[in-house]
Amino acid sequence: MTEAVSTKPDKLTPVLAVASATLVVASLYLIFVWVPTENSMGIVQRIFYFHVPSAATSWVAFIIGGVAAIRYLAIRDGRLDDLSVSCNEVGLVFCIVNLVTGVFWAKPIWGIWWAWDARGQSAMLLAVIYIGYLILRQSVDEPSQRAVVCAVVSICGMIDIPIIYMANRWWRTQHPAPVIGGGGVDARMGMVLAFTMVALLVLLWYLVRQRRKLAELQRETEGVRRMVHALG
Amino acid sequence: MEENLKWLWYAFGAAWVIHILYVATIASRAKDLRGQLDNLKSLLKDQQEKAG
Repeated sequence: MTEAVSTKPDKLTPVLAVASATLVVASLYLIFVWVPTENSMGIVQRIFYFHVPSAATSWVAFIIGGVAAIRYLAIRDGRLDDLSVSCNEVGLVFCIVNLVTGVFWAKPIWGIWWAWDARGQSAMLLAVIYIGYLILRQSVDEPSQRAVVCAVVSICGMIDIPIIYMANRWWRTQHPAPVIGGGGVDARMGMVLAFTMVALLVLLWYLVRQRRKLAELQRETEGVRRMVHALG
Repeated sequence: MEENLKWLWYAFGAAWVIHILYVATIASRAKDLRGQLDNLKSLLKDQQEKAG
């Protein structure tokens, strides 16, 4: 028999929706009104408060997706594949936001849309890996085979995360040297950065829950379709 | 100052457009799947009734 999608009333999702919307609005207030303007770059530096937390949120999502993929390979529970694809797809959205905000920051500051430096390229590679992951999911029909192949890609994708993090330490890049934790950020700037990070993590949690419901629905539909084909 | 403000709006605008479009695609895919599932379930019921 197919596994039916849970019909239990979901109390957490509306709470997460309200919490993420409230936190995001509060973070926008802090970014646009409360935090002081940085001296050298001026107002455009405020992109930093969204650019950096978007990258970090995508890494959290890809790591959870990768860990779920490892668990899937160990115990072959379809719900772990649902969690993995949900985290990876939502992580890709945050990764694209990170790349797009980076482009709009690079143009006025560096005078170019895209710097072909190690951090930028490794961040773009991460997006390409997970776009490939989603294309692969569409191209394999058999659910357990698809889950295994995608779990392997998901685990390999995680390898790029420490490379992105270390890129501006290992190589000379257009990106600046690390400022977080090195005393390079004003206390209020650090506070806004941390607040936005929390807001985006709550948003991630909400989006992953929504995406998981879709994955469960997809699994149930595939199960019923197989039964129809078997009887027909 | 005003020149740079333009880039700030572009960045934040693009970020939220991407998030909103993503939420819209989740809702649209869920609606499609629910429709497919309802059709398949009624088809399955018919097949089971025919099979006795």
